Amino acid sequence: MIEIEGQLLHDVDQILLAVMILIIMFGMGASLTLNDFKTVVRRPRLVFVGFLSQFGFMPLIAFGLAHALNLDPAKAIALILLGCLPGGTTSNMFTYFARGSVALSIAMTTASTLLALVMMPLLLELYTPGFAREIQGNLVAAGGEGEVEFVIPTANIVVSLLLVLLPVGGGVILRRFSRGWAKVAEDTAGFTAMIVIVFLIVTTFARHFNLVRATPWQVYLAAVSLGLTGFFFGYWVSRLFGAQPIYQRAIALETGIQNGPVAFAIILLSFPEQSVQNQMVWLGILYSTFVVISSSYFTLYLRKRGKFDWEVYQNTRIHRRLFGAAYCTRYPEGFLPPRIAGDPAQGDLEGPGRMQK
Amino acid sequence: MKSSPSKRIIAPHLAGLYRLAAERYESLPAFATRKKTREWEPISFRELYERGRALAAGLIEMGVEAREPVGLFGDNRLEWMIADYGIQLCGAVNTPRGSDVTDDDLIHIINQAGIHVAFVETEALLDQIHRLRGVLPELRELILLRPPQKALSEGVLLEEVIRLGAEKLEGGDTRVAERMEGIRPEDLFALIYTSGTTGKPKGVMLTHANVMSQLEAIPLDLSCADRVLSILPIWHIFERTFEIYAISSGACNYYTGPRTLAEDLEQVEPTFMGSAPRLWETLHHRILAGVQKAHPVRRGLFRIAYFLGHHYHESWFFLRDQDLQLHPSRKGIRLLRKGLHAMRMVLLLPWYGFFNAAVLETVRRRAGGSLKYTISGGGALPMEIDRFFNYIGIPVLEGYGLTETAPVLAVRAEKRPVCGTVGPVIPGTELRVVDPDTGKTLYPDPTDPHGGRARRGEIRVRGPQVMKGYYREPELTRKVLDDDGWFHTGDLGMVTFNDALKILGRCKSTIVLSNGENVEPEPIEMRLCQSAYIDQCMVLGQNRKFLAALVVPRLEAFGADGFKEKTLADLAESERAKTLLQKEIRMAMAEGHFKRYEYVREFLMLSEPFAVGEELTNLFKLKRHVIEAKYDREISELFAPRTGAAPEKKS
Repeated sequence: MIEIEGQLLHDVDQILLAVMILIIMFGMGASLTLNDFKTVVRRPRLVFVGFLSQFGFMPLIAFGLAHALNLDPAKAIALILLGCLPGGTTSNMFTYFARGSVALSIAMTTASTLLALVMMPLLLELYTPGFAREIQGNLVAAGGEGEVEFVIPTANIVVSLLLVLLPVGGGVILRRFSRGWAKVAEDTAGFTAMIVIVFLIVTTFARHFNLVRATPWQVYLAAVSLGLTGFFFGYWVSRLFGAQPIYQRAIALETGIQNGPVAFAIILLSFPEQSVQNQMVWLGILYSTFVVISSSYFTLYLRKRGKFDWEVYQNTRIHRRLFGAAYCTRYPEGFLPPRIAGDPAQGDLEGPGRMQK
Repeated sequence: MKSSPSKRIIAPHLAGLYRLAAERYESLPAFATRKKTREWEPISFRELYERGRALAAGLIEMGVEAREPVGLFGDNRLEWMIADYGIQLCGAVNTPRGSDVTDDDLIHIINQAGIHVAFVETEALLDQIHRLRGVLPELRELILLRPPQKALSEGVLLEEVIRLGAEKLEGGDTRVAERMEGIRPEDLFALIYTSGTTGKPKGVMLTHANVMSQLEAIPLDLSCADRVLSILPIWHIFERTFEIYAISSGACNYYTGPRTLAEDLEQVEPTFMGSAPRLWETLHHRILAGVQKAHPVRRGLFRIAYFLGHHYHESWFFLRDQDLQLHPSRKGIRLLRKGLHAMRMVLLLPWYGFFNAAVLETVRRRAGGSLKYTISGGGALPMEIDRFFNYIGIPVLEGYGLTETAPVLAVRAEKRPVCGTVGPVIPGTELRVVDPDTGKTLYPDPTDPHGGRARRGEIRVRGPQVMKGYYREPELTRKVLDDDGWFHTGDLGMVTFNDALKILGRCKSTIVLSNGENVEPEPIEMRLCQSAYIDQCMVLGQNRKFLAALVVPRLEAFGADGFKEKTLADLAESERAKTLLQKEIRMAMAEGHFKRYEYVREFLMLSEPFAVGEELTNLFKLKRHVIEAKYDREISELFAPRTGAAPEKKS
C-alpha cells in the first residue's frame, strides 16, 4: 500500500471541486424535464434493462474487478462506489453523438439518480463489508489503539446524495421558468467540468508525480476496465433483452459512464479518514480521466456502426411527423436488416407507440 | 449492423427509370408537398408513376407525337413532376421555363421549338399566352396545372387529361408501352432554354444518355432513407438532375420555398440538398445575426468554438492535402508544415471536441442537423462562406457545370473536399485548360514539370454529359462544340496541385450575379457613358448580389458645372461630385429600361483614367481582368456589407 503524504487535494482544489459539483449538478437539473419521467413509465422493459445494467451489473463488475486485481481495500471500496453511482449528463451528450436514444438516456439518468438514494446504501452494504473490515484491521495494525473504527458511513452517503440533489432540483426549477437560461446552465456546466477536471488532473499529476509511478498497474487497469466493461455489458445485455440498436447504444453508454461528481461529493463528505480519502479520490480521478477518453472513442465507434439504422430511424420518424402518425413507411425487400425490418422506427420513445404492421 | 449497399436504379432512359423506381420503391414517398407546418402530403413512387402513365395516354390522345417538344411553364410543385412523368412516358421532350417567363421569351420558345401542347402552372400564365395567341400560330392545346379559381377562357385541366388517359388505359390502350419501347438513349429528354445573355434564349438539347451518365458519375450516396429538400427552380438542370438522382435512389424530395425554408429545414431535417450560394449567404447571415443577439456567454462560447473549429479543420485539411494548392511546394517543407499542423491539431483536439459537441452542433441544427452534405452550384461560393460552413462542420461541396453539360462537370468529393475549388472532374469526363487566344492546350501538358497545373485558361470538356447542341442553331452550336466533341465552356479556370479545378471567372464579359441572373455589362456601360459626366466606366458584380461600377468622371463637364477640382484625384474626394454622379447614374438606369437586377447600386470614382495598353486594348476595349486585379481592394470595399460585423479575420 502506497502512502500519500498529506492531502491529495489541497483546500483550493477541494473548493474548486465543490463549486464544480454544484455547477454540474445544477446544469444536469436544467437538462431534465417532467416528460422524461413519463418516458420512463412508457417503456418499462427498457428502463428495467437499464436498471439491471446500472445497479445490477456495474457494482458486480466493480466488485469482481476489485477482487480479481487484488486492490487495496480503500481503492476497492472506491471502485465499488464508482460502480454503484447513478448516471450523469455526460452520458446524454455522448449518446446524442453516438446516435443513440437521448430520450432513454435522460430517462435513465433521471431514474437512476432518484433510485440511487435507496440503491447505493443497499449495494454498498452488500459488497463492501469485507473491504471495510480489512481497512479496520490495517488501521488497528498501524497503531490505532482500538479507538479507530471504520464502517461504511451509510447515513452520511445518503445525506451527501441528498445534498447533491439540491442543485439538481434548482436546475429543474430554472428550466420551468426559462429554457434559454437552462440551456446556458447546461453549457456552462459542461465547460466548467472540463476546465476543472483538466486543472485537477494537471495539478495532481504535477504535484504527486511519484504517485503516478508508484500506483500499481492493477489500479490503472481497474480504472480503465470499469468503464469499458460497463459499455460491453450494457451493449450486449440490452441486446439479449431485445432492445433495438438505438436503445442498445444509449444503455451501453449510460452503464459505462457514471456520475463522477457525485462520487467526489460522497468521498469528501463521508470518508474523512485522510489515508482512505486520498486513495479513493485518486481512483476517482483516474476513472474520470479514462472514462472521458474511452467513451469518446466508444462513441465514435458506435456512431459509425449505427449510421445506417439511425438514418432509417430518423427517416421513418420524420415521415410520421410530417405525414401523420398513422403513416407507414415500407422499404423495399432486402433494404433493411432483419433486426429493424419489422419496425424501422425502432419503437420510437417519443412517437405514438409502435408502428402498425 | 452493416449498411445495405445503395442500389441505385440505372436505366437507358428517363421513362425506364421512372418505371423501375415505381417497381422497386412502390409505396415509399417520392415527393412531399407542404400543407402546413407539420402537415405534408406525400405521393408514392407507384402513384406518381400511375398518374404519369395516365397523363401520357391522355397526351397521346391529344396528339402529342414521340420526340415532340412539349412546353412546361411553371415552378416547383408536384404537378410539374406529374407533367414531366407524362411527357417522358409518351416519349416527348420536356421544354420547361419558370412561371415568370417574359412575353418575348415565351413567343421565342414556343415558336422556335414548335410547341403544339404546353402545360402552364397558373391562370396568369394562361391569360398571358391567351393575349399572345396571335403570334403563336402552332400552339394548339394548353393544360393548366393548378386548379383554377374561375371559369377557363381556354385550355383543359391536368386532372381532365389524366382522367381521359386513365379511361384509355382501362380500355386496353397500349400506345404508352409502345412509346416507351421506342425511346432511344440518344433521344432528347429535355430542351432547356437558357437565359439569353445576347439575343434570344438558346434551346439546349439534352439527351437521356446525358442525364443518365450523370447518375452514374456524380459522387453522391443517397438511399431510400434519405430526404432531399428542394428549393432551386426545377426547370434549371441543376435541380432537375438532382431530383432525378433522388428518384433513382428512392429518396424523397420535399418541396420548400424561400419563405418557409428556415422552418422546413428544422421539420424535414434533410440529409441532402442542391443549393445555390445565395442560400448559404442567407444562412450565414442568419447564424451570425443569431449569435449577435445571443447573450454574452453564448456569444463568447460561439466565438471560441468557431476559432477552434477554424484552426482544427485548417490543420486537418492540410494534413489530408485538402488545402488550396495554387503554387507548387517542396516536399520537405510540406512535410515540415504537416508536422506543425499535426501538433496544432493534437493540442486543439480535446477543446475542439468539447466545443464541437456543445456549441457547433446547435448551430448545425439550424440546417436541420442531419445534412450529410450539400452541393452548391449555379454560381461561385464566396470563399469566406465556403470556409465558414466547412469549419463548423456542414460540408458544403461546390460543384461546377453548365446547362449544356446536364450539368455536373466537377464536384468536390465528399471524402476529400478542397475548399475554394470545385473539386476534381467527375469520372468519364475529360478536361483541358486551353489558352483562349492561341488555342494551345495548357493542361494536361506532359512537357511541363507540373503537368500544366496552375496554368490559367479556358476550360474545355468532353464527356457523356455534353449536350447534342443548340436546337435549330447549328451556327451557335459550332461556336461552342468543336468537331472532336470538345465543349468550350467560356469559363476561365486552372487545375490546382491536388488536382482540383478552380474557376477563375468568365472568358466572356457576362456577369453572373449570386442569384444566378446573367447580366451583359456592355449595354449598361454604354448607357452610363452617355452621361456627360462619365468618361469611362466598367460594370462589375460577378458572384455578387448586385452590380457596381468603376467610374472615370469627365473632368471638363464637372469644371463647366463650376467644380473647382483640377484633377481626377481631387474630384474623387468630392462629396458633391459623388452626389451628382449618383443622381446621374440613377437617371441613366431609369431611362435605359434595365431590369431591376441590372441596376448599378454602388460606384467608385477613380483617380486616374483607363489607359490604352494598360487597362484598355488597342481597340479601346476594357481588359476586365486587368482592371479587376488592379482595383481588387477597392472593389471588395464596394461590395462590403454596410452593417454587421465581419465573420472572421482574414487569415
